[in-house]
Amino acid sequence: MTLSIAPGSGADLVDELAGLDPGSPMHQVRHRRDKVALATQGSYDALFDPGLPGLSLVERLLVALYACRLTPAAALAGHYRDRARAAGADAAALAAVEEGDPPELADPRLRAMLCFTRALILSPIDADRALLGTLPAAGISTPAIVTLAQLIAFLSYQTRLVAGLGAMRAARAAIGPETSP
Amino acid sequence: MSALLEIKGFTNASLEWSAWLDKVDLASATPEQLAVLEESHPKAKVSDYYLFLVHQPEILRQRSTAFNAIMYAPGGLSRAERELASTVVSRINGCVYCASVHAQRFEQMAKRNDVIAQVFDDPHTAGTTDRERAIAAFSVELTAAPDQVTADSIARLHAVGLSDDEILDLMHSVAIFAWANRLMLNLGEPVFPG
Repeated sequence: MTLSIAPGSGADLVDELAGLDPGSPMHQVRHRRDKVALATQGSYDALFDPGLPGLSLVERLLVALYACRLTPAAALAGHYRDRARAAGADAAALAAVEEGDPPELADPRLRAMLCFTRALILSPIDADRALLGTLPAAGISTPAIVTLAQLIAFLSYQTRLVAGLGAMRAARAAIGPETSP
Repeated sequence: MSALLEIKGFTNASLEWSAWLDKVDLASATPEQLAVLEESHPKAKVSDYYLFLVHQPEILRQRSTAFNAIMYAPGGLSRAERELASTVVSRINGCVYCASVHAQRFEQMAKRNDVIAQVFDDPHTAGTTDRERAIAAFSVELTAAPDQVTADSIARLHAVGLSDDEILDLMHSVAIFAWANRLMLNLGEPVFPG
């Protein structure tokens, strides 16, 4: 099977946010499952591909920031906040996603996406067929809904991966003299 | 082969799954969509789940690569223990469909389902050995409160004999079901045998 990103092509966001420095013992542990690491980075790259049609990059970054706020996952929230600002996100939308109440947003399309995000992050068992139906009702196409659902579900994975790897790194630092600075 | 379990709405019976929105029609699928279906799962072309997700083929390709590498790669945590973790996560999230599939896979590997009955009844206390209890407890913790996972959580896994390579596999198995459960729960529903 071929991967769409070249192995060793560059930065790995999960390594960066979990504090796994190249060459460190925990970096070596993680990259013994390199196929997983590559497909994790590949998923991130595919979900935030600026050229992907359906949802704008800013919309995807606002969904990501809101998902990380709710989880909560502080380091990832910081990453998506920086990217959303750099991509030109509207100040009012950013404020609502970071601190406010997205159901009060005026834009019905963004409001529907963020209400869906909140349900999937906080209580996926309660997100039913009627909730899914609010997305086509807000003018979002089926392929764009697949992107949105995959994005939120990926964020549920990415936040847990960063949290777990960070805990493993801390555990190693606590017990392994070879990992001391 | 095995005893049917039906506990608190969860089962090890074989279920189907039906999408709530329009799937890709195989007859009009692009070559890329067909290639990704073939890479993803042996039955992807007759599965509502894959036929819906293949609306975005590159995203599905990456997800399937990660999923298959996490659940099926040799070495590390035993495949039965990966399936146990996936079943615990699915039980916590309330994904009856995923829980049924991975309960069956556990049973195929381990040739028993005692711990699966415990997971269905109460995932917080499940486990027939200290090692299984630690695996289940960590799976609950990383699922329900990822921000509360600390070095102490990892130390509890070391204490029952898990190596760092096994802990990485466990963590991957838990995290990938945070992903999988949300697709299965929120884009369609299980179909129970007539």
